[in-house]
Amino acid sequence: MNLMADILINVIIAFLAGSLLLGLHRKIMARVQKRPGPPIIQHLLHSLKFFFKETSFPKTVSMPFYIGIVFILAAVWIVGVIVGPVSKDSLLILFGVYAVYKIVEHNSGSSSGSPYGKASCVRAVLSAATELPLFAAIVLVYLKTGSMNIGNIISYQSANGPLAFSIPLAAIMFFLLLLSKSPYSPFGITKDKALISGFETEHFGFLRGFIMFSESISWYVMLWVFLTLFFGPLTAVGYLIGMIVITFITGFINAVTPILNPNHSVMTQITIGAVCFVGTVLMILI
Amino acid sequence: MVNKTLCIVLLIISTIAILACLVVNLEAWIVYSVAIIGIPLWVLSFGLLTMAKPREEDKEERVKEPFTGY
Repeated sequence: MNLMADILINVIIAFLAGSLLLGLHRKIMARVQKRPGPPIIQHLLHSLKFFFKETSFPKTVSMPFYIGIVFILAAVWIVGVIVGPVSKDSLLILFGVYAVYKIVEHNSGSSSGSPYGKASCVRAVLSAATELPLFAAIVLVYLKTGSMNIGNIISYQSANGPLAFSIPLAAIMFFLLLLSKSPYSPFGITKDKALISGFETEHFGFLRGFIMFSESISWYVMLWVFLTLFFGPLTAVGYLIGMIVITFITGFINAVTPILNPNHSVMTQITIGAVCFVGTVLMILI
Repeated sequence: MVNKTLCIVLLIISTIAILACLVVNLEAWIVYSVAIIGIPLWVLSFGLLTMAKPREEDKEERVKEPFTGY
């Protein structure tokens, strides 16, 4: 297949599947909290609706930055689609994608001039603690498989079985990242409702629709990477079931867990990351 | 506030670049570059052109407040 067609198809699948999964996430949270909740398709409809809504630009925004950061967010997750489902390339590039995502959170908040955005921007720096368990998980996968290449890691698992069974603590660390990126997460300090919508507060109308487009892709890519790294070669049905199950678990956890304050969020993630890292190293050595 | 001409130019350039990669088999690094820059640029310029605009008499009102909750 033509490479560009492959990329376009994967981006569209990522957007549609990601939107529906985020809709499912909201539905699960609502049902756990004994609310009817919106239809599963609501997140997708919102993205499309916002896309054609009027966008006004507040007086205090730094205009090129304010629009540019939304562009960068989309570019970052298209890199995620290319490195993941399309080319199955290096994990290090994906780590770079997450690092740039943090920069986007930070700069999106600061570009608006709003105090809510700025507070979220400061918290984005703190929440970079999420990157530590991610980096540790990548290192452990490398130590176990001897490769950073996703294609090689898939081959390793088809020969030796899923990594989720041989290095389960590394899988937990990666799952922690998924949890922290899921909507209404206990670790989602940048989007705390005390900050309205955090770094997204001043991006409304079309720009919000564009952000939602990128976030749908990001959810799909993160789930895809997790399933591929720890559950080996999967069929399309396997990915679908895996993504629904993880969305269900994160939805359930987020529905019953209050948001932590920034200090507790960072310390919890670092502590779990450290315990899992040491545990996995011991498991590999023994 | 948004330059319409610039958006049209960017939309045309990104559309041509994406279509060129679809029709011609170019080297992988060129296709990746076009995808990473061209797809978000296409969505951004298309969105800025097609989004609803405020009425003439409402334009000032839209930017009166510096930010939400002011």
